[in-house]
Amino acid sequence: MPLLEVKNVSYSYDKTTKALKGVSFNVEEGEFVAIVGHNGSGKSTLARLLNGLLKPADGEVVVDGFSSSDKNAVFEIRKRVGMVFQNPDNQLVASIVEDDIAFGPENLGVPREEIGKRIDFALKAVGMENFRKATPTRLSGGQKQRIAIAGVLALNPKILVLDESTAMLDPHGRKEIAEVVKRLRAQGVAVIAITHYMEEAAKADKVIVMDRGVIALSGTPKQVFGQKEILSSLGLELPAAGIIADKLRARGANIPNDIITEEELAEALWKL
Amino acid sequence: MEIVAENLTFTYSAQTKRLAFRALDGVSVDIKEGEFFGIIGRTGSGKTTFVQHLNGLIKVQKDSGRLLIGDYDLTAKKCDYKSLRAKVGMLFQYPEHQLFAETVFDDVAFALRNFAPKLTEKEVTVRVKEALELTGLTFDRVKDKSPFDLSGGQKRRVAIAGVIVAKPEILVLDEPAAGLDPKGKREFLELLQRLHKDFVKTIIIVSHDMNLVAEYCTGAAVFSGGKILAAKTPKEIFSDGELIKESGLDLPLTASLTEGLKKRGVTADNDFTADGFVESVCRALNIGGKTR
Repeated sequence: MPLLEVKNVSYSYDKTTKALKGVSFNVEEGEFVAIVGHNGSGKSTLARLLNGLLKPADGEVVVDGFSSSDKNAVFEIRKRVGMVFQNPDNQLVASIVEDDIAFGPENLGVPREEIGKRIDFALKAVGMENFRKATPTRLSGGQKQRIAIAGVLALNPKILVLDESTAMLDPHGRKEIAEVVKRLRAQGVAVIAITHYMEEAAKADKVIVMDRGVIALSGTPKQVFGQKEILSSLGLELPAAGIIADKLRARGANIPNDIITEEELAEALWKL
Repeated sequence: MEIVAENLTFTYSAQTKRLAFRALDGVSVDIKEGEFFGIIGRTGSGKTTFVQHLNGLIKVQKDSGRLLIGDYDLTAKKCDYKSLRAKVGMLFQYPEHQLFAETVFDDVAFALRNFAPKLTEKEVTVRVKEALELTGLTFDRVKDKSPFDLSGGQKRRVAIAGVIVAKPEILVLDEPAAGLDPKGKREFLELLQRLHKDFVKTIIIVSHDMNLVAEYCTGAAVFSGGKILAAKTPKEIFSDGELIKESGLDLPLTASLTEGLKKRGVTADNDFTADGFVESVCRALNIGGKTR
């Protein structure tokens, strides 16, 4: 059984327009899934359905066997699906880092000694063990976002949903978060990232492209970014490396036509 | 209008010793009229504090250097901030959050009515129409809509129309492309280029996106720890290994590939725009034959 099953899910905020129409996909343990799409394509609605913040109007979201349509299952789902939003300032609640991280597990009634262990684990996972007593408001954007992620990790989630969590960070902050994602996946946590950065999507196991509430494309990054015409009609582009590779190829350079990362482009260039 | 900062310094919470934080530390820079100028550097390096000085949102502190914008001396006892603000338009991150009026028309007209209270409603309409159409929106189609019913990219256009309606000479934008999808981002940058060509003399843009800086900027200032380490062209900045290291900046993709080629004995001298890079690689490796 997959860790997360989204089965034929529809949702609407009002009677006239459907924000999501018959969306289905699965996520496995440790998998890294990127969800992309233009502004207003339904990405964030989809994210909010994954941890039961929104309930499907039709269809079902099943997390580790618990359906979000089942009223009694909401807590089980929230324990398993952690969510980090765009702006960490909206997600940090306490004036000391360790209190902030303890907030979630305290709410779930986790015993005191266990909470201490979870704080250690979460801070280590995001590489912030030296900031246990720091004040969140005095940290940089990337550090704050890592604390927000640590607060979610302290609940031992099986799935981490990042809803444009890197949009407000500088390149350095984005790299920090990418490192955290790598570490978590190694521990079997599935990561679902909603992003506008095609460079991030290029590193996922699976890319889902949303358009007007439906899945327009899905597959490995290579499969998805191979559909150049469809992508561009959906308001998306190739990652920067792919754009340059295309330009070089148009001039007659011998460069493969499925390049999507800087590493791949560099390798092809060195061979010329 | 030229922007000249000399030894500009700014301290937050200057009154409270324990919390005092020097955000700008002796910044000197000269931004000529007509530039598409980048303000770059890590988070917390002083970029935003600097640009907030440019229209008097942050006042120059006492004995903290000089700041001249055209004929305006922001260090002088008397500075006409109201007319300065009509000439230096400012757009913050996520400018769509600044929209507030019931209709697109009223939102765009708001600043204009403030800056030029003597304009007749007819003149206001002409100006609002011009501003909206410059951003690529169709006046008749959007003017009566609520700004909140528009898409993300459209909202951002309305926000920029609300600034350019006052006909500023300098337009300052803090992370203008953040949060837009790739197509929205490209269209927005093309809009800025169009505005720069025909309408606004100088554009100043704060950005973390080095690909964007390499592609669009004529010059840039590198901030680090409240100081400007260098102010020169993107080509000079991204070829300066020491500077990149010291400032903690990323290289644009084109520059890091150019460097990689150089290590392998291939010299591809270029300006780090995508087209410039492709052109120089083709020339260096004798690809395609077409040399321009």
